[in-house]
Amino acid sequence: MPEIHDRPPDGGDALLHAYFERRANLVRFFAARTGSLAAAEDLAQDLYLKVAGREAEGEVQSPVAMLYRMATNLLLDRARGERRSAARDGAWREATGSAVGGEDLAQEPPADEAVASRQRLRQLVEAVGELPPQMQRAFRLHKLEGFSHAETARAMGVSVKAVEKHISGALKALTRRLAR
Amino acid sequence: MTGAIDRNDARLEEASEWIVRLQRGGEAEALAFDAWLQSSEANRQAFDSVMGVLDEIGSAAPQLRAEDAVQRRRPEPRFSRRFYLGLGGLAAAAAVAVAVAPQALLAPATETYTTAVGHKRTLSLADGSIVEMNVASRMEVTLARKERRVVMGEGEAVFDVAHDARRPFLIHAGDRTVRVVGTRFDVRHRGDQLSVTVAEGLVEVRSGEKGRTFRLRPGQRLDHRAGSAQVQVAQASPEEVFGWRVGRLVYRDRPLREVVADLNLHFPQPLRVEDERLASTRVSGVLVLDDQPAVIRRLGLLTPISAVPSERGILLRRPAGTK
Repeated sequence: MPEIHDRPPDGGDALLHAYFERRANLVRFFAARTGSLAAAEDLAQDLYLKVAGREAEGEVQSPVAMLYRMATNLLLDRARGERRSAARDGAWREATGSAVGGEDLAQEPPADEAVASRQRLRQLVEAVGELPPQMQRAFRLHKLEGFSHAETARAMGVSVKAVEKHISGALKALTRRLAR
Repeated sequence: MTGAIDRNDARLEEASEWIVRLQRGGEAEALAFDAWLQSSEANRQAFDSVMGVLDEIGSAAPQLRAEDAVQRRRPEPRFSRRFYLGLGGLAAAAAVAVAVAPQALLAPATETYTTAVGHKRTLSLADGSIVEMNVASRMEVTLARKERRVVMGEGEAVFDVAHDARRPFLIHAGDRTVRVVGTRFDVRHRGDQLSVTVAEGLVEVRSGEKGRTFRLRPGQRLDHRAGSAQVQVAQASPEEVFGWRVGRLVYRDRPLREVVADLNLHFPQPLRVEDERLASTRVSGVLVLDDQPAVIRRLGLLTPISAVPSERGILLRRPAGTK
């Protein structure tokens, strides 16, 4: 994805300034929520369009809080499946003078691009397969099958808190083993 | 993801906990997370390490899921702790690798599962059954002590039902009930049209409590329109009907109208057919569902059409010069 918007704004818009200052953290926030770095970059780009296209409404009291409010709303829109029609999407991009490479923002990147080699895949499979059974089940249901924490808890007959503990434990164990 | 990471860094734990906490949503959590990131470069690095691994695993999710399915079919007593719950019907060998918590049996909760246009989803039910939901589908699942019950709204799914003679698996779709003991089959409920195709085992379809019952064997397909008294049973190829699971639709002498209706569940940009006569044209062939322009191009090889962008989606028409 071309990073065509990553230059400082000319004007004195506090919100835009805050966006550029916090962009890396916003991408991290989106990544944590979606589980995907590519989706996070797309969302950060969407957020830029919202920030840049916003009518000036006087001083923003707390620009960072405003940014995260807008970011949270973007995620809600996405979760509700409010897909803008492709035509409207195109018109909007044209009007704001940006090209985002013609990608459907709601789609995940192709799996084969991200996983470079078979060997790495085997490492991933082994690492997940060797998590303790309950932790592994929670991790699979939540991260691989897309169950929410509550759905995972009900499917396993345990509390949401227990599921949260399993997931963070799994993430830590997998990072220790797999981080490069 | 720069530099070597310290694998014993307690920050990895904090970063992992943040990823979990943020799933609860809410602005306050988001701001607290931002503050944590701002407070040190080491925090940011720890987060990037965890996130890099999570992203990689997410990208490989299809392969990891496939691996899980392979493990599940292998009766490997590696995780013997899973047996401690002592299911009454452990003769139900298909349920072996999946833990069923006692609460799930005592207090049946109804879960609603949905998929959007273009999105599929695999459910691993607590009884060991696997349900692969096709695009634009909705169902409610209740696992009660005496029966397992699915109310199928609009949609299609392949059911791989864990054998459990004491708890029949019932699927309600429109005005018919599908009853299963343990088998693999596809149920398609779109509009008022119901189709059931069986790959393995035996499936009964009946209307109401005392209605007539049809028993379907592997390779048989039942078609029924809600409200009508008619039911048709014919031979069908399960591999063809189940093709959607691997991104493939197979048609034998079906009207273009039906093909377009299916495709519109897979792609957000709707297709329209110019007129009724063209919509009734019969189509036979296999469509691989990758990206929409490619699918339309292949559809053009099966039946002569041209695609024109229009205000309301893509218009399919006869190519110029043919009448």
